[in-house]
Amino acid sequence: MNEKITQMLFNVLDELNQLRPREEHLAKEVGTPLAGDFGRLDSAALINLIVLTEEKSAHELGRPILLTDDRTMSQINTVFRTVGSLADHIHLLLNEKRDG
Amino acid sequence: MEIKTFTVADLGLALLSEDFWLTKTLPITKQRALSICHNPRAEKDDSALLVAYQDNQVVGYLGILPDKLFFNNADHKVGWLTGWWVDPCLATKGVGAILLYKALNAYRDRVGVSGGSKEARNVLHASQKFVTLAPVKGLDIRFRFNATNAILRKFPWMKLFRVGFKIADVMLDEIVNLRRLFWERRTHILQRLTFEYVSSIDAETGRFIERHHQHDLTRKGKADLDWIMTYPWIVSAPQKESASRRYYFSSISARFFYLGVKVFEQNNGMVGFLMLSVRNDRMRVVYSHFESRHAPSIAAAAVYQALAMDVSTLSLYDERLVKSVAGLRCPFWSTQSVSRGFFLSKAFAGSPLADCRLHGGDGDFAFY
Repeated sequence: MNEKITQMLFNVLDELNQLRPREEHLAKEVGTPLAGDFGRLDSAALINLIVLTEEKSAHELGRPILLTDDRTMSQINTVFRTVGSLADHIHLLLNEKRDG
Repeated sequence: MEIKTFTVADLGLALLSEDFWLTKTLPITKQRALSICHNPRAEKDDSALLVAYQDNQVVGYLGILPDKLFFNNADHKVGWLTGWWVDPCLATKGVGAILLYKALNAYRDRVGVSGGSKEARNVLHASQKFVTLAPVKGLDIRFRFNATNAILRKFPWMKLFRVGFKIADVMLDEIVNLRRLFWERRTHILQRLTFEYVSSIDAETGRFIERHHQHDLTRKGKADLDWIMTYPWIVSAPQKESASRRYYFSSISARFFYLGVKVFEQNNGMVGFLMLSVRNDRMRVVYSHFESRHAPSIAAAAVYQALAMDVSTLSLYDERLVKSVAGLRCPFWSTQSVSRGFFLSKAFAGSPLADCRLHGGDGDFAFY
């Protein structure tokens, strides 16, 4: 599942990069920083990332997720630190949904 | 980084605290906090301010103005976002996004935005959570040439010739004064119309507004307009003080006040009410109530008040008034079409918003 999530996030980055100048493109690697202390996304770009991730999760994983609830927002530095940390968080959300 | 939510009640406590006002950057001014605490549409536990702190310093904030929208024979709670700021040094930490989502969550996705910077509009657009309402179209009417300001703003090095520009302005103003006299005589405005000024909404005006605001989206009544007039966000003062230098948005102006103008026609009694805000050399009609057939009289009243108060520009945000201005042949130098934009979250998307009227003072516009 983690691989599927990471691939889905790489597809998100592809779309996000289309909106950014070439020199600001985000590398398709799990260690790529997103938001937080070492982040490279401003608010509009972070929101684009969130919207695209929610959309792609529904389409590609067949499971809708919500990344804008208060719990996620209060852990934004952890959740959106890197592509890998975001993938872990989505994995957790999907497991919670399945268990719930 | 920590995000703290201040409710209306918390802001009341903050006003009594000394520590809250000691930070290098202020997330709100005392007059804004006082205004929010007296908002007749706010409840004590409504979220009113979100502040992002890092190392005990303010690094971002977002104000929320609790309000109500009226449609489908019911009122609906909404929070207007106002005063959204993020420390530019932290632009890539997502602070603005967190503040926006926190506000949306606090108001169950029922949020509005009036105006906003280009950056803010980009963020709203990116979130895909907002719909754009048809803009309120208006008109800026320029009465005074004000060459000094116009030229020095473009060519600051011409400051040496300031005295010359000032003399030119005085002479041009005299031409306007002369044209104003002719206009007043030609239109017999003071024979046709009489005015009554109010600093708060009296019972007669309250009843008049009630009769005319049924199609308004925010349906501001006596209590709401009284509140706006009594608790302004901008204070008239000759210069910025310590607090206003620590707050990113407007809090001080050389001249700022509200004035209510009741308009009477000789044979028809009260035909209109204008709530005006005057900030420096600009007058804005923030709320106007009248029947369409009286639009020419109300437009003439607004122009008359602007000329009497010696402002450079009158801003109207009512299409009926804008249309009537052309027929007035009043003494202006130029006019410019303007508009005010409003956004509402998609939670309101299915509502019959197109049938509702927005005023130039809706959202947080009335306070600037």
